[in-house]
Amino acid sequence: MMWKEKYKIGVELVDGQHKELFNRISDFVKIVQDKKSSWDEKVNQVKETMYFMQDYVVTHFADEEKYMAEIDYPELEEHKKIHADFKAGVFNYVNRLETEGYSEELAQEFGAKIMAWLIMHVAATDQKIGAYVRSKEEGSI
Amino acid sequence: MRAEYVNSFYKATLDVLKLMLDVEVKQGELSLVEGLVPSKDANVIIGVTGDLKGNILFSFPRDMTLEMVYIMSGMRMEEIDTFVSSALGEVANIIGGNALSNLSASNYNCDIVPPQILIGTYHSVSMANEKAMRIPLITTIGEFDITLYLKENK
Repeated sequence: MMWKEKYKIGVELVDGQHKELFNRISDFVKIVQDKKSSWDEKVNQVKETMYFMQDYVVTHFADEEKYMAEIDYPELEEHKKIHADFKAGVFNYVNRLETEGYSEELAQEFGAKIMAWLIMHVAATDQKIGAYVRSKEEGSI
Repeated sequence: MRAEYVNSFYKATLDVLKLMLDVEVKQGELSLVEGLVPSKDANVIIGVTGDLKGNILFSFPRDMTLEMVYIMSGMRMEEIDTFVSSALGEVANIIGGNALSNLSASNYNCDIVPPQILIGTYHSVSMANEKAMRIPLITTIGEFDITLYLKENK
């Protein structure tokens, strides 16, 4: 399993979506790395899981940005910029796969990178949202 | 080489491995080596440009590489394929990015060149007769090295 409890930030909506995002990336990687089927056999499934994963990146980032705005998160603009870069990275790979053809190598590279990006994003950048929410709660007591 | 910029990379390595992999790192004995020689199975080279110029080489043994990917993905991989080497390259890239933030805090403005990944290569990759600094690092999932060769360029 790709998701870990330590990735939780303590906000139910965000944690639930992060879990789903990890699951979708995990599904993509599992298909790409499944050495039992040939590439030709599974390439349609690769495409399907890729779009499923890409859709959720967009949905989750939009929801997370809405949530950050609602709580007056001070680092919203900076965080939005990080989301924009992340999305650009994802769209770039999707675009390359569509135009250069679905090669196993490129799909493996994409799976590895999106996994590393998400781990770093959730384990570092998003933790600051949790810390902010906790500090606000403590301040209001 | 000054401690400031060596530490920027060293600290970034510790931070990123802790954050992404929950791996604690202990430093071994520093040594000066001739050139950048990939010394283990999976090697990543990051080029540095700007106020500093040079290369950082990360060398990981095979088993440690596969264990790092297992920690990240929850999946056991049998070989260092493109997925594994790209994951390793991206971890190194993130370390490089963090090191740049540390460096800019010390007023060095640098950029990094996307990582070059060498699997099973043990030939020297640059700099005849130049000394580089090798930092062996010990973790619970294996021992790896960072070799730094950096020159001031401002």
